[in-house]
Amino acid sequence: MSPLQITVRNAASGPVLGIIGELDHTTAPQLRDLLATLTLQPGQRLVLDLGRMQFCDSSGITALIVARNHALAAQADITLAAVPAHTLRVLHIVGLDQVFRLNPDSQAATQP
Amino acid sequence: MDIARRNNVTETGNPDGPTVVLAHGFGCDQNMWRLTVPALVAEYRVVLFDYVGSGRSDLSAFSEDRYASLEGYAQDAVEVAETLDLRDAVFVGHSVSAMIGVLAAGMAPERFGALVMVAPSPRYIDDEGYRGGFSAQDIDELLESLESNYLGWSAAMAPVIMGNGDRPELGEELTSSFCATAPDMARVFARTTFLSDSRDALAGVAVPTLVLECTQDVIAPREVGAFVHKAIPGSTLVTLDATGHCPHLSAPEATNAAITEFLAGLR
Amino acid sequence: MTARAGSQPDPYETGDDGTSNAMFAALLEDSAEELYESAPCGYLSTLMDGTIAKINLTLLDWLGMEREAVVGRMRFTDLLTMGGKLYHETHFAPLLRMRNEISGIALEIRQADGDRRPVLVSSAVKLSGNGEPLLIRTTLFDARDRRAYEEELLRERKAAEEARREAEADRARLQDALAALQQSLLPTTLPPVPGLETAAYYRAASPDQLGGDFYDLFPVDGKSFAFFLGDVCGKGPQAAAVTSLTRYTLRAAALHDPDPVSALSTLNTVLHERYTGGDPRYCTAVFGILEPDPATGETAVRLASGGHPPALVLRADGRVDFLPTPGGVLVGILPSAPFATASTTLAPATLSCSTPTASPRPAPDRTAPPCTATRRCVPSPPPTPAGPRTPSSRP
Repeated sequence: MSPLQITVRNAASGPVLGIIGELDHTTAPQLRDLLATLTLQPGQRLVLDLGRMQFCDSSGITALIVARNHALAAQADITLAAVPAHTLRVLHIVGLDQVFRLNPDSQAATQP
Repeated sequence: MDIARRNNVTETGNPDGPTVVLAHGFGCDQNMWRLTVPALVAEYRVVLFDYVGSGRSDLSAFSEDRYASLEGYAQDAVEVAETLDLRDAVFVGHSVSAMIGVLAAGMAPERFGALVMVAPSPRYIDDEGYRGGFSAQDIDELLESLESNYLGWSAAMAPVIMGNGDRPELGEELTSSFCATAPDMARVFARTTFLSDSRDALAGVAVPTLVLECTQDVIAPREVGAFVHKAIPGSTLVTLDATGHCPHLSAPEATNAAITEFLAGLR
Repeated sequence: MTARAGSQPDPYETGDDGTSNAMFAALLEDSAEELYESAPCGYLSTLMDGTIAKINLTLLDWLGMEREAVVGRMRFTDLLTMGGKLYHETHFAPLLRMRNEISGIALEIRQADGDRRPVLVSSAVKLSGNGEPLLIRTTLFDARDRRAYEEELLRERKAAEEARREAEADRARLQDALAALQQSLLPTTLPPVPGLETAAYYRAASPDQLGGDFYDLFPVDGKSFAFFLGDVCGKGPQAAAVTSLTRYTLRAAALHDPDPVSALSTLNTVLHERYTGGDPRYCTAVFGILEPDPATGETAVRLASGGHPPALVLRADGRVDFLPTPGGVLVGILPSAPFATASTTLAPATLSCSTPTASPRPAPDRTAPPCTATRRCVPSPPPTPAGPRTPSSRP
């Protein structure tokens, strides 16, 4: 079994991707491939639910940035929900906490 | 570097007698002197060795650069002589080794005091005004011949390597490595040997020299023996009533007689 | 044996054991000479000097010669090619002399029509009662098919060896190219900075892997020096391309305007314009200006950071401080990015910047930021510090 599983569901706000496991050099392409096939409507919000993400390295960070670029290109928005403390710290160091909309609550993140 | 081990140096005979170094030619190793050694051991200290790449030498010491010229092989002989601290030794070289002896005596004159050249040839390929007996194409054929036989190496040579149960008198040691040269190193030795031209070195020989030739030798025809004899000042030429290129194997009595007579004359 | 009276056994009659035995015996008796002459291999007997004394028809057919022209007139080696003669003299004959037998040697015989026939030769010496060698018996097997097969093998082996040599040469060339490229990404030496000691330590993850870490130190005008250090996302050639772009952009930007934020902003614009969309390329970077003051011996440091862990300052008294740059964003992901600035003065002190260690998974506490580890690694200062020291990088 892959150390990364990605669940996809559609909420009222737009697609919600559940990132479960490890997002690293070997698994990040899974997320990037999936993003390439994900259609977003203008005004929608892409939510990445990171509540069950156990690990995220620089390749994982890059995948998150890819997700953001993908959303912006579709004139949609992006929110990182339930970012684990370890990743939050990294996001803080690299300044991405200012770039991404963060929501500690994945349920709330899907509210329009 | 342990030269004695590298060149598989063997010493036998009378330790107090004058030293005779027996050097094998291309294709074989020191075991080819097995019929010569008995004639010398009573009076002489006999030193045998294998050139690097032949027989039981240390194959890891082989370098294609060094052994791409006869000087590389001569260096082996000189280093063996230095290791044993030989002085005025008689260098008996077969075939290409006869020329290697000429080069070694030039490099370390204090080490070698006389030469015996068994079926020598300073150049195998014909040249203007010189008949060596071969064309460049012939040498290519030999290289092909080597390759095709090394391909079937295990079939052709395995009985030798494993010893010969039918003839225990030869002894395991004797037969175990005879001709068992590593193929790529044999190729280098063959090329170095048969493409060599040491004619110019002959005139510089300044020690007593015996040239032994065979009446019928495909590799070193009579003209070549005469050429060597004429080129080396004061050399002695003896023509053995023998066929083939290895008189010390095919006519050992006559060969030994000629060598011992020459050695006796040196004392 | 049973036989019908008054009649010869019918050779075609079957079922009679006696009759078939007789046929068999007759065939054998008849074939001794016939078998020698027409055997499916060549037979040859020579004197010890190689002179041919006896030869069978099969071999004469192969040679295309008459018996009279061969027996007593030719030696075994005369049948061989030149290469074969050489091989015979240097290997075959000595070995046969040594062992009195030899088998399976590959040689070629020359036919009268000029063609050559590959054969496998085996010889044995016949000895007299007292062990004297009398003659050599030799058999030759046609080896044309086998030789063709062997030549095919040899060709394949040569091709494989050639391919291996080429691959090794290619690999060496690639290593050289990588080394040259890697060198172009990093300064070979650091320039002397008045009042400062400078040092850099760089270790690539592997010799053939181009790293994404970079640093540099260079004069920007008569009195100040610029330095930068950072980490491009990813590894390999793509990362190296970004590293190259980053290095030369920062160098050019610094000469144009040595302000740290201005330099990082220029780099941000360049990277963002060049790499957008599905394959974002970005870096973390610290860019700083050093202004040594000859009058005081102190050095003023102004730096800006984009998403890079904070620099460390090791004071003369052993105190280690972060030089925090919170809020600086990764360089290259936003059209216009904020960069955080910080400044300090090095009066006997060490400024240390480093990139995070390559270890992807710090355990057991995966959250430990590399800078914490770095702070632990900073050595105690010498008892009497000589003076301000430089940015030293420790990837």
